[in-house]
Amino acid sequence: MDGYGALLVFLIVAIVIALAQTFLNELIGVKRKDPHQDYPYECGVPLYDPEARGTFKQGYYLLGLLLILFDIEAAYLFPWAVVFRDIGLYGLIEAVLFIFILSLGFVYAWKKGALKWQT
Amino acid sequence: MAEFGIALIATLIKVGVLVGVVLGVSAYLTWFERKLAGHIQARLGPNVVGPFGLLQPLADAIKLATKEPIVPKGADVPVFYLAIAMALVPSLLLFSVIPFGPEFTLFGKEIKPLISDVNIGILIVFAMGSLAVYGTIFSGWASNSKYAFIGSLRKASVIIAYEVVLGFAVLGVILLAGTISTVEIVESQIKSGVWYILYQPVAFVLFLFCMLAESGRVPFDIQEAEAELVTGYNVEYGGMKFGAFPLAEWYLNVIALSAIAVILFFGGWSGPAIFGAFSPYIWFLLKTFSLVFFVLWLHWTLPRFQAKDITEIAWKIMLPLALANLIVTAVVVYVLGGK
Repeated sequence: MDGYGALLVFLIVAIVIALAQTFLNELIGVKRKDPHQDYPYECGVPLYDPEARGTFKQGYYLLGLLLILFDIEAAYLFPWAVVFRDIGLYGLIEAVLFIFILSLGFVYAWKKGALKWQT
Repeated sequence: MAEFGIALIATLIKVGVLVGVVLGVSAYLTWFERKLAGHIQARLGPNVVGPFGLLQPLADAIKLATKEPIVPKGADVPVFYLAIAMALVPSLLLFSVIPFGPEFTLFGKEIKPLISDVNIGILIVFAMGSLAVYGTIFSGWASNSKYAFIGSLRKASVIIAYEVVLGFAVLGVILLAGTISTVEIVESQIKSGVWYILYQPVAFVLFLFCMLAESGRVPFDIQEAEAELVTGYNVEYGGMKFGAFPLAEWYLNVIALSAIAVILFFGGWSGPAIFGAFSPYIWFLLKTFSLVFFVLWLHWTLPRFQAKDITEIAWKIMLPLALANLIVTAVVVYVLGGK
């Protein structure tokens, strides 16, 4: 109960709080209908394009790809860092090689201009 | 069975106390922030509702709760509602692995002042930090508003970039401590008698930047950007639904990440016992709120970076720095052979 069980209890409590915040206005808020109240915010003019989820900058895709590269690298390095004292020189060399190989990918992305925001 | 019941009740009491304190402190942090902003900008801040404006958070809460619920036209309704839970739940769960002090005995039972003493505490922090991005993305996508959509994409790119740096910065501390349990990290600092900020100053600076970026504080608040995006991804939310987003990211995240910075770099609850029996708790809260105050102070002092600068700083400067810090730390720990 001190470990994951308590985490589960906390999760349930947190979800209840979130639901309360979500539906509080439905319960006790005023309701006064107005034909234009559900217009998306756009400077008060009639909507030019009813669908806002159109095209967006492709740079976000590239950053997403880089995240996969580096977040997984970090995930592998966590257990390494915990047991580093026990595995000694072997672990050190392995990790430096691992980071070096991934740095090559990073340098490649950099040279290709994936990190350049305004092109 | 009875033992399970007692454990469940103890956990519920702990969760109740924690949630009550955290939400109360967050509410009053809004008052404190507005007062502070007022004085930084040479005005008074809230001073009408109650003495020194102290009832202002209460008035705000009542106002938010009685607003009309509006769902914008063309919105993706289930996702629109889900976004609130996805923003609020992870930032509350961040508090589950924060130890506020050492173990103590009450009614003959050992009680730990943290909710879930798992041996992967720091990993849970990262998991919750990564989950928080869904709240932002969902709210921006579901709102069917261009401002919200741009804001959510910006925020997602910032979180992605700084999550990586955060991971590598914290790895240095983990190498020194040899564990990722939050309690054991604090205990190893107390045992060695040195706060890890002395061994890992670079990691601390990186962590501080990431903390500002993850919680959307100035100078990394391009997703809010009042002047251009009118608060960005939560622009279509109203009432308490709107209240959930600043609460989660501006207050809960800042408090939780400050507490984690204290655990990682400032020795957690350690400190001279000058406040009597409650000394560890007072030290922990003092350190945490000094950091929170520092974040608020930056927020009302600095200008904002451009989107381009933020992503480029993260990938081109901070990530190589963090990698170098990690390798140097590993070599030093190996050469000195650990303590």
